[in-house]
Amino acid sequence: MIQYWPLMLKAAGTTLWLSWLAMLLGAFGGTALALLRQIKFAPLRWAVIGYMEFFRSIPILIVLFFVFYGVPLLLEVDISPFVAATLALALHASATMSEVVAAGIASVGRGQWEAAAAAGFSWPQTMRHIIAPQALRVILPPSVGVFITTLKESSLASIIGYIELTRTGLLVRDATGGGFVPLLALGAVYFVINYAISQVGAALERRLHVGRRSDLVGAMA
Amino acid sequence: MTEILALDGLVKRFGSRTILDGISLNVSAGEIVCFVGPSGTGKSTLLRCINGLEDIQGGCISFEGQAVQGNPGAIRAVRKRIGMIFQHFNLYPHLTALQNVMLAPVVVHKEPRAEVEARARTLFDKVRLAHRINAYPSEMSGGEQQRVAIARALCTNPHLLMFDEPTSALDPETVGDVLTVMRDLALEGRTMLVVTHEIRFAADVGTRMVFMDQGRIVEQGDPRAMVAGAQTERARKFLGTIHG
Repeated sequence: MIQYWPLMLKAAGTTLWLSWLAMLLGAFGGTALALLRQIKFAPLRWAVIGYMEFFRSIPILIVLFFVFYGVPLLLEVDISPFVAATLALALHASATMSEVVAAGIASVGRGQWEAAAAAGFSWPQTMRHIIAPQALRVILPPSVGVFITTLKESSLASIIGYIELTRTGLLVRDATGGGFVPLLALGAVYFVINYAISQVGAALERRLHVGRRSDLVGAMA
Repeated sequence: MTEILALDGLVKRFGSRTILDGISLNVSAGEIVCFVGPSGTGKSTLLRCINGLEDIQGGCISFEGQAVQGNPGAIRAVRKRIGMIFQHFNLYPHLTALQNVMLAPVVVHKEPRAEVEARARTLFDKVRLAHRINAYPSEMSGGEQQRVAIARALCTNPHLLMFDEPTSALDPETVGDVLTVMRDLALEGRTMLVVTHEIRFAADVGTRMVFMDQGRIVEQGDPRAMVAGAQTERARKFLGTIHG
């Protein structure tokens, strides 16, 4: 088993990279969707809500199959397992993140918008200087959760033949003649990664809140 | 006196409810107009219409000859010249007092940061909060927050200050500090619209009192004369109840 550790660690890196990329795309996509929802134009809002409900309701494995097998047929392009996995995870994460970002924006009281409007701030200026910094504190904790979920879901990429952490663990298990230990090791690696992520998230959260604990009360007034 | 604000037949409805029912009013530079009257008669809504926080259903508003209607650019141009102070302060909770005051001049008015900071510091002296410059809103009392909000409004060099019940959300012991600052501003000759329940303040500091009821201006005139004896029954009754 010990001789396979370097392989496992390298695979852990692959899984982290895949999930990080998917999370980044998902966060950008989700933010864009949440901002689109702010625009008071009904068809646009329905389109965004439809997108969200769609990707939240179907299993990520189906999305993965669709991207990996369906899209190449439809568009006659080659899609590598890595790209397919990244896309599928990002689509899924963007649907969840749009909810998280929308809730964060909604958490900032109306008084903040009014104070900004009365002072002559434009919408982008209001967003950037007044709403986003306050929303971020509400958005961060659930985002860490979305990242962890994405990382765990990335194990599905093993099914379309992408050699990430789970796939590597299963290969090691085969190579060592089956048994329980490689699976235990695999679980341990996932645990360590996700525990570290939630610790980093908690530290970030503390930094955002320094010296302003009860300010949400002021924001709501 | 140059006229800076003109309201003509202003009508505001929320659904089928009429909040402002044909308000006409002209304000000249240097005037301190205090709006008084029972709750829910549209005094706050009137202020919010003047800087376009509420849309209007009839009549027109012009500020320094510019209509406060239609395209967002024109409304923003007007807002940049009006400072507003809210009942609940609405300070930006993620910024310190100094940052609160500096944000609009730097971001909206694109003034150099160093210049803005120097001006902000003198404003903190004026509102007697020089020692609280680095505090966050959550660390300040209501009265302190409202004085920061006043400094924030002043820092953009507005041509008109609008106070929307500035002391209604305050503890009684901090009301005085805020009123003192407002008195100082009045002495500087600033143009102010003040929605307030502080009748004594309105009588002492105001140059004109406007009594509103049910979306209309019932009576207006010299504040002291009105407090001593208003022309209309309703105003006399209201001022009598509050004052006595």
